[in-house]
Amino acid sequence: MPEPQVVKAGDVTQRVGVEVISKRGVDVPKLIKILIANAAAEFASTYYYYTILRMHLAGHEDYKEICEDARLEDRAHWELIVPRIYELGGELPNDLKAFHDGAGCVAAKLPNPPTVVNILTLLLESERCAIRSWSEVCDMTFGKDPRTYDMASRILNEEVEHEAWFIELLAHERDGKIVPSGHFRRGDPGHAPYSKNAGFYNP
Amino acid sequence: MHSEPNAFTVILLLPDGEQSIQVSRDSHIWDAAFAAGIVLPALCHQGRCLTCAGRLENGGDVDQSDSVSYFPEDREAGFVLLCTGKPRSELRIRTHQQTEMRKFRRQKKLPSPYS
Repeated sequence: MPEPQVVKAGDVTQRVGVEVISKRGVDVPKLIKILIANAAAEFASTYYYYTILRMHLAGHEDYKEICEDARLEDRAHWELIVPRIYELGGELPNDLKAFHDGAGCVAAKLPNPPTVVNILTLLLESERCAIRSWSEVCDMTFGKDPRTYDMASRILNEEVEHEAWFIELLAHERDGKIVPSGHFRRGDPGHAPYSKNAGFYNP
Repeated sequence: MHSEPNAFTVILLLPDGEQSIQVSRDSHIWDAAFAAGIVLPALCHQGRCLTCAGRLENGGDVDQSDSVSYFPEDREAGFVLLCTGKPRSELRIRTHQQTEMRKFRRQKKLPSPYS
């Protein structure tokens, strides 16, 4: 990695916010690529497709609501990531297909057949990919880039909760087993306690 | 009567040397390596992100049906995804090929996550 340059006074082509994390060892170009791929996963692989999955959970209103929380929280993640990409000097691809194709996780397309078990399985595996992706960002930024780390950590908190929800639902629906998530309901749909800095359940 | 082998020898050409492992036909190569104490790069474990990419040295057959995003062009070029690939023959695989496989995908105008 080239030695980072010291930003000169009045220079608007460079950012101290990038300079300092580069000096601490963050590979900023690589981080930007990962954030764009993760943004694509949150927006294109999950938020968009979860909209369709949710529509097909008819007769399972409880599952539909939980899918809705995950869907809206993934959208909240997208909204968090985009400003950070630009702050770091990156940008979104000016082509939606290119953006979609760059996602690090598979698109959660409606399974065939669209049974509740197949949909819950897909939701679960999507959340697992997100956990892996955000853990990578946490590892890259821990102790070096507190702003990206804080964001990734908040997102990761919610992805871990999403996985727990879908484990609970799938275990019940497919295996007839009780595997508690340990969680209770969100406040409003898409409450996003971590990524929207809202209070989380702690009565 | 001819029967298919239940396991294959897979030689991993790692950045710091060769290691040989046995991989059953039902196992993903990455998982077998991990069980043998070899931690290869990986991220999505879906056969999507290309982080686990390897490249066959002397040809061979890998079942990539568990990969969500694998193309005939990948196979022709010898690229394999170890997270989701199951052996169907003896193999020699150069590991840590994510950069090369992403470059190849871009040249072919195929999806190349993290590029």
